[in-house]
Amino acid sequence: MFVLSFLARRLAQGAVIIFLVSLLIFTLLRVVPGDPVRLMAGGMAPEALIEQIATQMGLRDPIPVQFGRYMARVVQGDLGQSFVRPANGAATGGANFNDTTRGERAKVMDLILDALPMTLQLAALALVFALVFSSLLGIAAGLRPGGIADKLAFTVSSVFVSLPNFWLGIVLALLLSVKLGWLPAIGYGGFSYTVLPALVLAVELSPVLIRTLSGAVAAQMGESYVTVGQVRGLSPTRIVAAHALRNASVPLLNLLGVQFSSLLGGVIIVEYIFDYPGLGLLTINAVLQRDFPLIQGIAIVTSAIFVLINILVDLAATSIDPRLEY
Amino acid sequence: MANVMDRRRFLQGSAALAGVSQINPDFLISSAFAQGGKPLVFLSAENITGNWDPTAHTTLSQKNIEGFVMGFLTRTPMTLDDPSKVVYELATDIQLLEPTRLQIKLRKGIHFHDGKPFKAEDVKATFEYGSGKDRPAQWYPGPTESLTITTPDDETVIVDTSKGGYPAHLFIFLASFLPIMSAKDIAEGPGGALTRRLNGTGPFRFVEQRGNSTVLAAFDGYFKGKPAIPGIDFTFTGDSTTRMLSLMNGQASIVERLEPEQVETVKANPKIAINQVVSVENKYLWFRCSKPPFDDVRVRMAACHSIDRAMIVELLGAAGHASANYVSPVKFGYVDLKNYPAYDPAKAQALLAEAGFPKGKGLPPLEYITSVGFYPKTKEYGEVITAMLNEQGFPVNLTVLEPAAWNERLYHRPGGGPGHMVDCGWSTGSPEPDLVLRTHFHSSSHRITGIEDAAIDASLDKERAAPTLEARKAILQDETMPLLAAKVPALSLFTSVMIHAMQKELQGLYVYPDGSIDASKTV
Repeated sequence: MFVLSFLARRLAQGAVIIFLVSLLIFTLLRVVPGDPVRLMAGGMAPEALIEQIATQMGLRDPIPVQFGRYMARVVQGDLGQSFVRPANGAATGGANFNDTTRGERAKVMDLILDALPMTLQLAALALVFALVFSSLLGIAAGLRPGGIADKLAFTVSSVFVSLPNFWLGIVLALLLSVKLGWLPAIGYGGFSYTVLPALVLAVELSPVLIRTLSGAVAAQMGESYVTVGQVRGLSPTRIVAAHALRNASVPLLNLLGVQFSSLLGGVIIVEYIFDYPGLGLLTINAVLQRDFPLIQGIAIVTSAIFVLINILVDLAATSIDPRLEY
Repeated sequence: MANVMDRRRFLQGSAALAGVSQINPDFLISSAFAQGGKPLVFLSAENITGNWDPTAHTTLSQKNIEGFVMGFLTRTPMTLDDPSKVVYELATDIQLLEPTRLQIKLRKGIHFHDGKPFKAEDVKATFEYGSGKDRPAQWYPGPTESLTITTPDDETVIVDTSKGGYPAHLFIFLASFLPIMSAKDIAEGPGGALTRRLNGTGPFRFVEQRGNSTVLAAFDGYFKGKPAIPGIDFTFTGDSTTRMLSLMNGQASIVERLEPEQVETVKANPKIAINQVVSVENKYLWFRCSKPPFDDVRVRMAACHSIDRAMIVELLGAAGHASANYVSPVKFGYVDLKNYPAYDPAKAQALLAEAGFPKGKGLPPLEYITSVGFYPKTKEYGEVITAMLNEQGFPVNLTVLEPAAWNERLYHRPGGGPGHMVDCGWSTGSPEPDLVLRTHFHSSSHRITGIEDAAIDASLDKERAAPTLEARKAILQDETMPLLAAKVPALSLFTSVMIHAMQKELQGLYVYPDGSIDASKTV
C-alpha cells in the first residue's frame, strides 16, 4: 500500500516536473536566434516562402497556442517529426523544404528510441566502472580514516575532478587507441566501442562517489552496532560487508540519482568527441540544426528518465532503510 | 581471520574467472583496423541532405558521394597547369556544331547499377529534368524551355540552346559536373527512386544509409573494371579532432578538411600521407551592397584597400593559396587581375574621405558575420580583418556563429540581409566560372551581396554569349573580371587548399579540387 501511494505521489510530481521542463525548453527554443524555417527552406528561399511555411507549420502562432497543440500530441505518445532528418536517421543539412522530391521526415520517437539504448549502455558501463573503482578506494579510505588509502582517495578525487572530460577523452583515445591500439575510439561497431567513452564518464563520476563512500563508511564504522558486532564475534568482513556497507549505501544511492543527471549532461560532450551514436550526439546535432521537435523530444524523454531514476532510487532507499520517508 | 580457502570462496573465485573468460578479447587487438580487404572509410566534415536527388541540393559532401556513385560525361582534373583539361568518361567526344548546337557522343556498353543500359535518353532526361525551374540546385545556364535536346541514336545527344539565346558551349564544362541519372528513375517523378537512393554508372553502387554512414560497394559492372577495394563507408563526423584520432588509430582510411596545425602533427606520422590540392573554392568577404554604407563602391574599395591579404594567407598556412581574382586559379578564365585591390591604407583613407567618411567618421556600426567549425581559421583571420578595418576607422564588430546560425544569416534578403559583411566560401566542381560569377554578381541572382549593377550584368551577359571558349576567355579576362575588381561587390581573400590525410597504404586515389575523389583505382 505504501509503495502504491508513494508511486502515485511521486509520479504526479514527476509529471509536473516534465511539464515544466517541456514548457521551458519549448519557450527558450522559440526565443533564441536562428529561424528553423530558414534552415529548412534553405538560405536562398525568399521571405514570402519562409513566412508561408512558418504559417503552415504553426510557427507564427503565439507560443502558448503552439505549446498547447504540441502537448496534446505528446500525451498521445506523438513527439512529432524531425524538421530536417530523413527517415533513415542521418544527420542532415542543406535540404530545401519546398522541394517536392524531399523524402519523408523521421519520427522523433524513432530517432530517440534508436539512440537511447546506446546512451543507456554507455551510462550503465560508466556507472559500473565508477562504482567498482570508487568502492575499492572509497571503502578502503573509510575503513582507515587518515590512512594511506584515505590520502590516496583524496588525491585521486582531486585529480579526477580537475580533468575536463573533453581533454581526457582525447588523451585516452590517443593513448589507448592510437598509441597502444587496445581499444577502438570513434563511432560504434560493437560493445568495445563503449569502453573508452565509459572510462571518461567514470572518471567524471568517481570523485563524488569516492568521497561519499569513504565518508559514509567511516561514519558507519564509528557506530555502536559495529562494536557490538565485534563483541558478538562477527568477522570484520561480515561487519563491513553485511552491515556497515548496507547502511553506508543509502547516501550513495541518493547520490547516484543526482549523478545520473550529470551523466546525461556529460554524455553530450563525450559522445560528440567519440562520435558515439547516442542521445548526446543526437542532441548536439539537433541543436546545431535548430531541430525543435527533436530537441523538445529529447528534453522530455531525458527529464522523464531523470524523474523515474529518482523515484526508483528513493524507493530502493526506503527498502534498505524503512525509517526513511519520501 | 584464517587465511584459508573454503569451498564457498573457491566457487566465488571460479565464477569470477568464468566471467572474465566470457569477455571477448578481440577488441584488445589492433590488427583488425588494417586496410586489407576492408572498405575505405571516409570521414566527412559535412552532413548530407537526406534527399538523394542530385538536383535537390548544393551540398558538397553529398556531391562527393555522387562522385563515387554517379557517372559523368567528362571529368576535369582542374590542375593549376591546365585548368581546362577534359577527360572523357561517359562521353567519347563533345563537338560544338554551331554556336548554339552541341553534339555529345556516348560510350557504348555501360550499365547503371540497377542494370539499365546507359543511353542517350538518360542524358536527355538528366538535362531536361535538372534544368527545371523548380530544381533547388540551379546549375544550368537556362531553364528546360530554353533547351531542345534530341537523340538521333542511342549514342548521340544534340543540345540546342537557340531558344534560350545563349551558346551551347556552356555545357562543355558543365558536362564534368552534372551526374547522369537514369531516365527510368526520373520518370518516376517527385518522391520516386531519385529521392530514395543513388543509381549511377560510377565505380561504386549505393547500398544503404546506416545512420550517419552512407554505405557503398564496388560495382562489378563498372566500365573501367571493378574497383579493387570492396566498398566505401562515407561517414559524417562533425569534429575535426575526432576525425584525426580516427585516422591515427586506423579506423578511418581518409579524412578531409584538416586544420593547418593538424597537418604539421600528422606529417610526423609515418603511417599517414597528406594530400594538398589547390581547390575550386575561394573564400570571400561579401559586402551587403544593397544597403549603406557598402552600397557606395568607394566605401567597399576603401575596405578592400584596408585588408592585407598576404597576412591572412600567412595565418592560414597550408590551408590557403594566394590568388587575385573572383574565381580559383583552377577555373577557366583565371588570371591574376592587375587592378585587384591591394593593401594600401593611403588609398583607403582617400576613398573614405571622398565618400564623406574621413578616417571613418560618420560610418554606422558595422557587423562582420563569420562562422566557426567548418572552414579553417575563419575566426582567427576574421579577427585580423576586423583589426585592420578598425585601424582605418571602420567601426567593425565581428560576430562569430556556429554554422547553422551563420547559414541562416548568410544570404541576401530584401533590405540587404543581416550584418554588413559576411565570410563564406564558394565551391563548384567544374571549371565553369559562371557558377561563381553569374551566381553572385548578376542582378538576377545576387545571392549574398544583393548587388544590382547594369554594367556588371551587361558584361556577364556578354561573356556568356561569346560564340567560342577562346572569345569568352578574352572577355572574361579583359572586361568582366577587371570590372568586378573595380566594383568590388566582394573581396576574394584567397583560394582554399583542400587538405586530406589518409593511410599511406592507400594508393591510386585521386582527389579533385572540389574534394570529390576517384577511388576506382585505389588499392
